[in-house]
This record gives sequence, structure tokens and C-alpha cells, in this order.
Amino acid sequence: MSVRAASSLATKVPSLIKGTLDYAQPRFKIFLKYAKVELTPPSPGDIPQIRSGIQKLLSGFRTGKWKQTPVKEAWLNALVTTEVLMWFFVGECIGKRSIVAYQV
Amino acid sequence: MADLVAPVRVSPLIKFSRWSLLLLGVSYGAIRYSSLSKKENAIREIEAKQKAIREVKLAQEKERLAKEELAELARAAGVEPLP
Repeated sequence: MSVRAASSLATKVPSLIKGTLDYAQPRFKIFLKYAKVELTPPSPGDIPQIRSGIQKLLSGFRTGKWKQTPVKEAWLNALVTTEVLMWFFVGECIGKRSIVAYQV
Repeated sequence: MADLVAPVRVSPLIKFSRWSLLLLGVSYGAIRYSSLSKKENAIREIEAKQKAIREVKLAQEKERLAKEELAELARAAGVEPLP
């Protein structure tokens, strides 16, 4: 590598790093702002609400009230359920310590 | 950051199911990984043993064939084959 190329690289790399940081930092802050509220695990204070939520779900099934859910709402519920179920597979990937296949 | 929408208050039931499923998944993956690797290791052990046996057999076969070939060659050349 010539001296000029090396020096231009030396001047470029810090600005590249700075640009990446300038791009990533505000976005990461936004991510943190939302994640702190939306992704935190439930606290012990939430237990009554969880319990009542389960009760509501079960009673909805028992009374047949779930048949009266509007299609739009049912679709949203299905999406939410799918998202919640996907957490299981994320957990499985963490547990098997690889993304694709069990690498035994 | 002021003009951003306020974060959604996710229902505790959803949060609870997310995190419990995540933990369930972690334990399922870990348990299944260990059981699969145990099985695989047992198979590997057996294969290693069989490989050793097979290699001995192949070596013997090769030696026998080489001897036969040499004997054949000697016969064709009209020489007494080596013992």
C-alpha cells in the first residue's frame, strides 16, 4: 500500500466511525426508550393483572364469547399470538446456542 | 425525541406469556441439545470402533491382493514366485 493510500485511510477511518456512531446512537436511544417500556419482563406487581387476563381468556372460551369477536380484532389477536409464540423459538435458538440446526 | 409516539403499554398477560415462552424455549433448546449431543456422541464412538476394524480389514485385503498380483506376474514371467 502506498503512503498516500495509507494516510487517506488513516483520515477516513475515524470519520467513518464517527458517521456510524452519529447514525446509530440516536436510533439506539429511541430503541431503548421503547424497549424499556414494551419489552421488559413483567414485574411482580403485574401478577393480579396477569391472573385476571388469564381468567378473562378462559371465561371467553367457556361462555363462547370468543365467537363474537370481530374479524379485524381476531386478526390482530392472531398476529399478537403468533408474535408471542415466536418468542419460544427465539428462546430455543438461545438454548441450543446456534441459529440454524442443533450443531451437536 | 419529543415528537415520538408514546410507547405502548403492553398488556401484562402478553408480557408474561412472551417471557415465559422465551424461558421455556431456552430450556427446551438446552435440554434437546444435550440429549441430541449425547446420542450423537454414542454413535460417533461406535463409528470410530467400526472404522478401526474396517481399516484393518482393508489393509489385509490390500496385502493379499498385492501378493496375488506379484505371484501372477512371476508366473507370467516364468520365474519361481517368492514364498
